[in-house]
Amino acid sequence: MSDFFNFDTLSLHAGQTVDKEFGARATPIYQTTSYVFPDTDTASSIFNLERGGHAYSRITNPTVGVLEQRIAALEGGSAAVCTSSGMAATFCAITAILSQGDHIVASSQMYGGNISLMKNTLPRFGITATFVDPTDTDGFRNAIQDNTRLIYGELIGNPGLDILDLEAIAAIGAEHHVPFMVDATFNTPYLCRCFDYGANITIHSVTKWMGGHGTAIGGVVVDGGNFDWGATDKYPTITEPYAPFQGINLWEEFGPSAFATRIRAEAMRDIGPSMAPMNAFLLLQGIETLSLRMEKHRSNTEKMLEYLSNHDRVSWVSHPSMPTHSSHELAKKYLPKGAGSILSFGVKGGRDAGKAFIENVELASHLANVGDAKTLIIHPATTTHSRIDAEALVAAGITEDMIRLSVGLEDVRDIQADFETGFRAAKKVSGA
Amino acid sequence: MYFEVNGKQAFASTGGKAFNNQLPTVIFLHGSGLDHTFWSLQSRFFAFRQYSVLVLDYPGHTNSDGPPLASIEGMADWLHDVVEALDVQNISLVAHSQGCLVALEYASRFKDRLRSVSFIASGLATPVNDALIDAAENNPEAAIAMMLSWGFGPAGHLHQGPIPGNSMVAGGRKVMRGNVPNELATDLKACNAYQNGKQAAAAINCPRQVILAGKDRMAPRKAGMELVKFLNEPELHIIEESGHMVPQEAPDQCRMLLRDFIFSHNPA
Repeated sequence: MSDFFNFDTLSLHAGQTVDKEFGARATPIYQTTSYVFPDTDTASSIFNLERGGHAYSRITNPTVGVLEQRIAALEGGSAAVCTSSGMAATFCAITAILSQGDHIVASSQMYGGNISLMKNTLPRFGITATFVDPTDTDGFRNAIQDNTRLIYGELIGNPGLDILDLEAIAAIGAEHHVPFMVDATFNTPYLCRCFDYGANITIHSVTKWMGGHGTAIGGVVVDGGNFDWGATDKYPTITEPYAPFQGINLWEEFGPSAFATRIRAEAMRDIGPSMAPMNAFLLLQGIETLSLRMEKHRSNTEKMLEYLSNHDRVSWVSHPSMPTHSSHELAKKYLPKGAGSILSFGVKGGRDAGKAFIENVELASHLANVGDAKTLIIHPATTTHSRIDAEALVAAGITEDMIRLSVGLEDVRDIQADFETGFRAAKKVSGA
Repeated sequence: MYFEVNGKQAFASTGGKAFNNQLPTVIFLHGSGLDHTFWSLQSRFFAFRQYSVLVLDYPGHTNSDGPPLASIEGMADWLHDVVEALDVQNISLVAHSQGCLVALEYASRFKDRLRSVSFIASGLATPVNDALIDAAENNPEAAIAMMLSWGFGPAGHLHQGPIPGNSMVAGGRKVMRGNVPNELATDLKACNAYQNGKQAAAAINCPRQVILAGKDRMAPRKAGMELVKFLNEPELHIIEESGHMVPQEAPDQCRMLLRDFIFSHNPA
């Protein structure tokens, strides 16, 4: 019998070594740029990756390190690297293994920032992408080219909420020897541990449910440690000598954490999107209650779905837990504890009615975030996804009347009462 | 580094420096189901201090061609073949767990080029219960979980570790998943069958060091002290807070103990 700690215990304790000097129970905030070396040999050995340790907080920091190890533990990954934001995590993860001339097969239903990164920014550096309907699993296989080096998608697509068939897509990746990277922000490891289904790397905007309180921006890349980089010559950044560290071969030296080490050694050193220690502390506070919050998010989401589905001012409601949703079966398979707390719905009366609704609710906050403890709403077509073209909007499953709701932890009766105010305003505008 | 032994490809990490058989060489031997990556927090240190380093994958493990070897004595013979093939001189052997049994056999029989042996977290024998061997053959995930659970002490169970961001337990699981079912089961049977520890230990006459762990549930202190007894007054250290996976759980203490011992008995 094994006796590993379970999820809730790891959420509270993983990664933290209680400091020996003062015995602080909470993780201390090491608000320092740098660290005093006891001698030159220790200094040089840290720089040369001969031993663990901290040299400069752009690369590693003790508070951030606790968060990294906690997330690695919760995800079941071999290593994690925290970044200043979720988008920084995505950029660092992609550029750790892709170079000019390489190609990504990506889901078309993703956060607008992800789509813009792959459609507008990365092509300037010679990295291209083909976008595929996330429900068309064969489409991922058909889009793979000789230069494809990555398959990328969000488990729960934003904002259409279609679910990736993790096992099927991971199998396609394995068949072509291409890693499968999943943005797991909407699910968190509480709802689904993507590595259990064959994903190789996960990305999170920990700003969202992981932190859960809307107080700190942050991201993380988690190395699943389950991709055999050495079985192909497609990934020279991992398997060939890396000059800045005296020709180190990361795959040979570090095996299951080679990918994370590349991010640490290159992206954090040469680009530097590091997470602030204070943010790591705030995010750790959030993760301590991840299970409790996700469970309340789930129960409130169920109640809001029932409320909206029966409301005469609502034209449609979408959530993967609903039998009518195209991803319902996949949601049952991969997200048995709940398919997340984002739902979308249409207000009768179209764009103007939707606008009136958003402008007249007060408890629900109109802002560009999800996964806060507080209920949030937004109109994606004019905000989060406004920088992508009409064709991509359709591909992302976004309609003009769509309102995205991030269900919070308030008493659900108060959320519903607030929505009644919004619906009354929408009715006045639509006149129906 | 890939090289040929007995007509088959073998692998050894060289710690980031090219192997040079003119330098004193530290050879690292891993435990059951593991591989060279287990030693990354010791190997590079020596490689960048005028030693050559060979961190071997046993046959069948990760990068070395199979099949896995069925006996500890066979593994010692294979190690000898590696030494001959690469013409390694002035060897310091560093071994962990199953590797210690291999080191016992090797050091008792092939003494010419050996300058020191360091035994980490081991006794004279490694009896393995039937349930674990059965799990290794038929339910590898359960076997891996059992071994990692027993192998790591409190720090490992809380995913603490010396490298910021890394989970030692999860890393170990990934490595072991690449070496099941055949390699792990074969390793465990070989350990279970090995009976020559007392005689081998008594025959070793080069400088020897034993590093035990206070929270070791796989090679408890009592078993380790049996090894100490038959090695006849080796240099002994006990790292109280570590579990069985000393080179990963207490890498800095372990490395410093190895440094002082090897620098002293096999100077570069």
